[in-house]
Amino acid sequence: MKQQVWLKVNGADYEVFIEPSRLLSEVLREDLGFTGSKVGCEEGECGACTVLLDGAPVRSCLILAVQAKGKAITTIEGLASEEALHPLQQAFIDHFAVQCGFCTPGMILTAKALLDVNPNPTEEEIRQALAGNLCRCTGYIKIIEAVLAVKNKGKATDGDRQG
Amino acid sequence: MRLATIGKSVTRIDAPSKVTGQARYAEDWWEHGTLYARILRSPHPHARIVSIDISKALQLPGVRAVITGNDMPDRRMGILVLDQYPLARDIVRYVGEPVAAVAADSPDTAEDALALIEVIYETEQAVFDIESAMSANCRVIIHPDLGKHSKLSVTGIRPPAAGKGNVFLEWHIRNGNLDQGFKDAELIVENRYTVHRINHACIETHMASACIDPDGVLTIRSTRQGPGIGKPHACRFFDLPASRVRMMEPYIGGSFGGKADLWIELIAARLAQITKRPVRLTLTRKEVFETVSRSNFVIYVKDGVKKDGTLIARDIRFIVGSGAYSQMSSAIVRNAGFAAVGTYRTPNFHWASYGVYTNLPPSTAFRGFGAPEVQWAIEQQMDVIAEKLRLQPVEVRQRNLLHKGDVNVQGQMTTGIGAEECLSRVEEWLGSQPIEKKTGPWCRGRGIAVGNKYTVAATTSCVNVKVHPENRLEVCHGLDEIGQGINTVAAQVVAEEFGVAFEDVDVRWGDTMTMPYDWASMASRSTWQLGHAARLACKDAKRRLFEMAGQKLGAHPDDLETSGWKVFVNKCPYRSIPIRELFSPVGIVPGVGEIFGQGEYTEPKIMEDPETGQSPKAATTYMYGACGVEIAVNEETGEIRIERLVTAYDMGQPINPRMCEQQIEGGVTQAIGGLLYEELLTEEGVVKNSNFLDYKISGTMETPNLAKMCSILAPDPDERGPFGAKALGEGVLTPIAPAIGTAFYNATGLRVTDQPLTRERVWRLLKERKK
Repeated sequence: MKQQVWLKVNGADYEVFIEPSRLLSEVLREDLGFTGSKVGCEEGECGACTVLLDGAPVRSCLILAVQAKGKAITTIEGLASEEALHPLQQAFIDHFAVQCGFCTPGMILTAKALLDVNPNPTEEEIRQALAGNLCRCTGYIKIIEAVLAVKNKGKATDGDRQG
Repeated sequence: MRLATIGKSVTRIDAPSKVTGQARYAEDWWEHGTLYARILRSPHPHARIVSIDISKALQLPGVRAVITGNDMPDRRMGILVLDQYPLARDIVRYVGEPVAAVAADSPDTAEDALALIEVIYETEQAVFDIESAMSANCRVIIHPDLGKHSKLSVTGIRPPAAGKGNVFLEWHIRNGNLDQGFKDAELIVENRYTVHRINHACIETHMASACIDPDGVLTIRSTRQGPGIGKPHACRFFDLPASRVRMMEPYIGGSFGGKADLWIELIAARLAQITKRPVRLTLTRKEVFETVSRSNFVIYVKDGVKKDGTLIARDIRFIVGSGAYSQMSSAIVRNAGFAAVGTYRTPNFHWASYGVYTNLPPSTAFRGFGAPEVQWAIEQQMDVIAEKLRLQPVEVRQRNLLHKGDVNVQGQMTTGIGAEECLSRVEEWLGSQPIEKKTGPWCRGRGIAVGNKYTVAATTSCVNVKVHPENRLEVCHGLDEIGQGINTVAAQVVAEEFGVAFEDVDVRWGDTMTMPYDWASMASRSTWQLGHAARLACKDAKRRLFEMAGQKLGAHPDDLETSGWKVFVNKCPYRSIPIRELFSPVGIVPGVGEIFGQGEYTEPKIMEDPETGQSPKAATTYMYGACGVEIAVNEETGEIRIERLVTAYDMGQPINPRMCEQQIEGGVTQAIGGLLYEELLTEEGVVKNSNFLDYKISGTMETPNLAKMCSILAPDPDERGPFGAKALGEGVLTPIAPAIGTAFYNATGLRVTDQPLTRERVWRLLKERKK
């Protein structure tokens, strides 16, 4: 039986009318048009569906949309400001950390969550934080270089877009 | 030639849209009234379908259609052998074979409907082992009516001689006198190698959506690799003219060959035809693991050498385990031979390759297309030879490397071979300092290998270029952007040709209705083909441009050139006109219309002799590479740790050096994962590890520390290539596994000829060695 649910995504409020069994990943993508979050496995193993829930990285394929009520959801679409990309987004471009791009939104959001709590991670800490985001194209080297570049610039928590 | 854009690491044109989430992939569109499709799959590896009752499924509220094989046209798909129904008819030949499909209002309803379809099977014996399947005594014949299946016309590939069990194709390359060669040899080295099945594990699964548009055009949007493969098949399957079928491919989330046999498109299309609604068919991760894989291989190599390491005879038997249907594996049967002839001189040579059916899921293309697998065998052979003759591994290779100008054993001239340079760069980086052989449970070893990858010939690429009055160029191509960066390559080529900034170019692709023809981003041919076709398109566009500009400047078109958005007279650059001044205020050039150019490029090929495989021009070109690696093996746990790894590649002129690094780093990681972590485990034809937990691909914790890896670009430009470029993406993999294999031998004294080297296998090998 469908119910009315209010979701706060990237600082804005959205009303959806959904079955309680709908996954957050489905509702974000299909109902609200935030197709930046991808679905790679529906089992929480690949990390492509990662969004931030109150700043923490979560698997939107394992969360019911109704469970996200009252929380601040950040998707990849919410990272850039009007004026500029988030430093991580810019770093991924500059350091050639993007190939097919399917893992990229989840990877960037997880990296953002890391830098928000640990602005000065070592390479090892970056690897550990991103261990749950699978990539088949890049070999991870340039992804790690991109995150290190942002850390080194000291712009770890620029522009919190949660609203 | 001084190049302004080619050879520069310009920012990838697709990166901004991918980091912002704006980039869209096949599953990011929904049409009004979309139905969701799911596939019912065979639980048996080999069975006769006695009956299918769909009546209960049809009654489930929300179900709009249920189809079986009989609801599809009676036509088979395939690449070289047309042997496969998209939905099974009468017989199922692998666990997971599609038997029925449902379209319903929601994914859950479609899933529920599957459970209501009642299928009665009569199981038959199955065969899973390749060599058993190819035996003349094999009692299980998977395609008894093989002789009746049509073949797409590729001359040179012949059906096998009778009495070879489940062999569907065989291919030979012959040169010299093999028997004499072995008689003259002073050492004979003979081994059997195997390569296992792995999954492509693209982060994006497989998906196709289909609808009939308002004009009645069958429109398919999918994750397919190769619109030039999918579209003709769809036209033939549904008996529709090309103008009435549209394939759309937006960004693709990786393919590596796995999405080349995307026959789910035809199931989605049929459901769309029947329901007259748009239909989405997305495979789950489980389905992809269970039904898509690289082939498995058995490779016999017998080498005859002289005491100084000179190869004088080489006999290779290369057996491709294709699974239940031939798909892309059929082309591997022939094309893998290129890898066997591309690196070394071998005066007396025989290559025999066989495509063999088994009751496993049909395998398909996987990055490298047989080349990494061939070289897993022959590169380790070189090391065995070196050891037995007490020579250095590098020395044995150098002694036998082809040189520029040599005719290889297939009859083709070697137009360039950067292998020697790659080998020496790798050797230099590795250094000659002795490594600490043993610390605690860790024993160490070093390994080195060379690799090659051909670029396929005889395919066609078309490119269109348009000049816009606002100082912008638009390049349209028909290839698939699977993550390798072909859109950026297209923009760089066109910017170079017009002498404008890379940022002035827009790239369009991914729609057969509006884009020109191309075959596929496959077989290491995209840069070469698109590069040539784009340059020709630019030449054509300039011809029109110069006709009009010549009139304005009072100069002959042949005396004109363009750069920086001006057309000017050669040697009199002050006599010039800005391109935008040629256009009227509404954006056309009076008397011409649009400034538009078309380019078509087909790489010539001389078909191989069907008996000897000989041809003076069989492949377009070859790229080369080398790998040096130091590994540590834990004798207690079987873990293999990559301690240092260096690669050097000759890709011809790099179009974009950092994009080359992308291919190298990704390919090296994939090759390491395929050897050390990945294995599709099957039991009686059932894949047992069909998720990312049980099938492990490399993550950030498995890839070597940044300081321990080095990738070197060692280009040897091919003047016949666009700006001297050759290829890279597939060839990256070729030297990696054999380098690790030989390092393993040097660390442990154990020669491994069978992949994979997962921890468990290594542990068992080491345990057996102790006994």
